[in-house]
Amino acid sequence: MSTEVRIPSIGFSTQEGTLAEWLVADGEPVEAGQLLYTLELDKSVQEVESPASGTLRIIAPAGEVYDIGALIAEIV
Amino acid sequence: MTASDSFPASALLDVYRNTLKIKTVDEGLRRLIMSGAIHPVFHPPTGQEIVAASMGAVLEPSDYLCTIYRGLHDQVAKGMPMKLIVAEYFMKTTGACKGKGGAMHLTHPASGVMVTTGVVGSSMPIANGLAWASQIKGDGRVSVACFGDGASNIGAFHESLNLAAVWKLPTIFLCQNNRYAECTTYEDATSSKTVAERAAAYGPNMVGVTVDGNDAREMWTAMRDAVARARAGDGPTLLEANTFRFSGHYFGDQDPYIPKEEKEAEKAKDSIGRLRQQVLDSGVATEADLDALKAQFEAEFEEAVEFARASPDPGLDEIYKDIYGAA
Repeated sequence: MSTEVRIPSIGFSTQEGTLAEWLVADGEPVEAGQLLYTLELDKSVQEVESPASGTLRIIAPAGEVYDIGALIAEIV
Repeated sequence: MTASDSFPASALLDVYRNTLKIKTVDEGLRRLIMSGAIHPVFHPPTGQEIVAASMGAVLEPSDYLCTIYRGLHDQVAKGMPMKLIVAEYFMKTTGACKGKGGAMHLTHPASGVMVTTGVVGSSMPIANGLAWASQIKGDGRVSVACFGDGASNIGAFHESLNLAAVWKLPTIFLCQNNRYAECTTYEDATSSKTVAERAAAYGPNMVGVTVDGNDAREMWTAMRDAVARARAGDGPTLLEANTFRFSGHYFGDQDPYIPKEEKEAEKAKDSIGRLRQQVLDSGVATEADLDALKAQFEAEFEEAVEFARASPDPGLDEIYKDIYGAA
């Protein structure tokens, strides 16, 4: 079963965020809890952990702005 | 008031079990939020687990709890089923409030969780009302009102403590003092050195106690004494549990107002690790037992997530149901 990675809603007024950088390359193995990507929001930069263990399949490239809930990767 | 020092090993294990369960749900929900699966306005209880775990270990299932939006630990400790909590965070019809309450309003009377309120300070008058009903009916129940240090500066705090003392209500006012009212320090907004010393203003019927809420023995013992006092009809207690929150006020708040040294000092105390060691030292459970318990809660959480994912969203026909007033 694959696990979806979506742009999270953190904070009250967040509508979108910038996926600044993937910290794991496409096709590489990841562990649950490992830092996966950096997310820039209105007033903060967060390093986001992987929600699952498996192989990372990147869907959305870094450097772009995405809406909350946008599917950016899957862990398969 | 006489406080016995006896703290049975079975109670120690009960507190640890509740703590572990709270931690499992808290961490699980954080993972779901960070993977973008759910979008609640979440006020994490991380750091305050042992306070609620001790409360839950003392209360009977039939006792009442009124808590606030930072209440996940209280709800879990009071015995609210994980499935109903998780499904409500997913805003599904199978959630505790049919998916219409969300993270800040989880309510489940069957578990004694009578209300989770988003209004600061409002848990206290509601708990008094329930306590009054129990007093009239003579059903032996006690009511617990959870609130934070910030809420002790709200008018409803004074009104509730006054009335509870006048009527000797079986209410336990459990102030979880995490030192920060949103982003204001305790000292910046509170006139007294402790919250509990304010009990003196309400006369002899009110007792005030301050404990280290992250110490299982202190917290459980104080809770037991407060509940015994309320059940015996001797009156209310203002129980101040000193604790700490490791997260910002809400999930996503980067808490720049909490000094790094303060947070590091609290982390170094490793309250949950210490509790685990106490359980092992007491001989009531082995490492293997505790690992099995962790696995059991994790499996229960995953099952709750599957249940929530498979459940339907509330339909538009639900919008005018369960509300007061005509559509």
